[in-house]
Amino acid sequence: MMHLSRVALVALSFATMLVFIALYGPLLIPIISSFFNIAHGEVQWHEPSLSAYQALAQNAGILTAVRNTLIVGFSATFLALIIGTLLALHYCGGTSLARDLMHFTVFLPFLMPPIITGLSLLIFFRETGIPRSMLTVITGHTLFVLALSYRTIVTRLQSLGPSLIEASTDLGASPGQTLRFIILPNLASTLVGAGVLSFALSFDETMITLLVTGTDNTLPIRLWAMMRLGFAPDINALVTIVLGLTVILCVVAVRLLLPAQTIQSE
Amino acid sequence: MLFIGASRKSLWPRLLAGVSYGVPLLFIVLPLASFLAYGFFHLENGNVNYTPSLGNYIRFFTDAIFIPVLWQTSLLCFAVAALTILFGYPVAFLLANLKGRRRHILLLLVLVPLLMSYIIKIYAIRSILGGNGLLNRFLLWIGLIDQPLTLFVFNLNAVLLTLTVLLIPFAILPIFLSLERIPRSLIDASTDLGASGMQTFRHIVLPLSLPGIVSAATFVFVLAIGDFLTPQMVGGQSGFTFGRIIYSQFGTAFNWPFGAALSTILGIIVIAVIMVGNRLEHRHT
Repeated sequence: MMHLSRVALVALSFATMLVFIALYGPLLIPIISSFFNIAHGEVQWHEPSLSAYQALAQNAGILTAVRNTLIVGFSATFLALIIGTLLALHYCGGTSLARDLMHFTVFLPFLMPPIITGLSLLIFFRETGIPRSMLTVITGHTLFVLALSYRTIVTRLQSLGPSLIEASTDLGASPGQTLRFIILPNLASTLVGAGVLSFALSFDETMITLLVTGTDNTLPIRLWAMMRLGFAPDINALVTIVLGLTVILCVVAVRLLLPAQTIQSE
Repeated sequence: MLFIGASRKSLWPRLLAGVSYGVPLLFIVLPLASFLAYGFFHLENGNVNYTPSLGNYIRFFTDAIFIPVLWQTSLLCFAVAALTILFGYPVAFLLANLKGRRRHILLLLVLVPLLMSYIIKIYAIRSILGGNGLLNRFLLWIGLIDQPLTLFVFNLNAVLLTLTVLLIPFAILPIFLSLERIPRSLIDASTDLGASGMQTFRHIVLPLSLPGIVSAATFVFVLAIGDFLTPQMVGGQSGFTFGRIIYSQFGTAFNWPFGAALSTILGIIVIAVIMVGNRLEHRHT
């Protein structure tokens, strides 16, 4: 953008480095200490071991939490993509006040502080007599990630423009045929990208979940409970594994969302 | 626009409309409405009394605890916004000036923490804070300080530090986007007319990136004020924030109607901040 002097460049790089140390530095502590023995609350730096991981493998609650997280993540992503597509198709099907209101409402659970989204659902479930369970968690997550998938699909549909669909209809295709042969193939890559991002968001969602969860806890809730109880070596092992998974998910998301040429051309 | 030829009687458009209005109505509008209504109910012998009253709001305005805590929390979140912008601006500026692969990698490094588990990040930061924490011990060990700093003890300071680290990426991105939108021709013109780099920055780049700064501030403030996990984890005994008080109404205090009323107030503040932010942003564009 600008031509930067050498001094300016050095100063900026230094400031940037500080920020990245603050962002990533703290994460190194649990990762590194997960590979050492811990005695009396102190890391024994001369005793490398995998005992934290062994303790983790024996923690049955964790495995259940991982399973729950996966169930919730996949269900919420799947539901959000289907509902998001339907809503986007309706929104792009014309202009009306009702459509604008719908458009606005869909973003609310994502934009409002999570405590409000969570409390609304909590109170709603209580008043309708729905007990807190995995289903209520899936509902909360679906609403949270719906805004994102809906938004992405609307953007894609708008960039497609009406001519393709008009052509299909003029040639005598039924709405179902247009959907199957024109719209869905054009949406495919968008749906995959939105799906990965939705799953990542659901995987991490804590504040809404904390309010609507019953006894079937997801991984972040399990972690939260473990951390509040105090220090345990298996937390570090779990943190390391989750961070590893996140990084893999990020790499996959980047590969999918950015067209292959932009990565190669640089 | 879509399905223009679907005028022959088909179920499809009606199905679409049904889902499009049904789902948001049932799962977003209705819960929100019941939440707002709950703020006007009150608790009686552990049960919710559904007679509407302003009792919760009167308690909020008359009790000596809530308004000071809300004020303190707002100041805290404002400080977090200021700090994230202060530290985030240089990163965004560098990002806007890089090209090709370097820019790609730096942008990725800003984005990755956003997808990392929030709770894990808090846990990691907590593990280095504290009076006897790693940060203090490290500073003592290298001899920079000779007494543990109280800056890192678990109280509101720790909340401030933790929130700043957590929310920096949310400040970097809008500033970066606003820097990207500045037309190159303006900078070239300024340079051609003999302005130094510093002058161009002060008179062209900085004013034109103000909308990005404002939206960064709004973003960070809104995220910080709604957070109850961070103060709960690193706030210790004294680090009370408004979000934490709300959350306690659903746990230890177990007063849902009052919690709903407090959250409504939080919601009003959030909406007000977003509106002021929008106003300022458009004034600068």
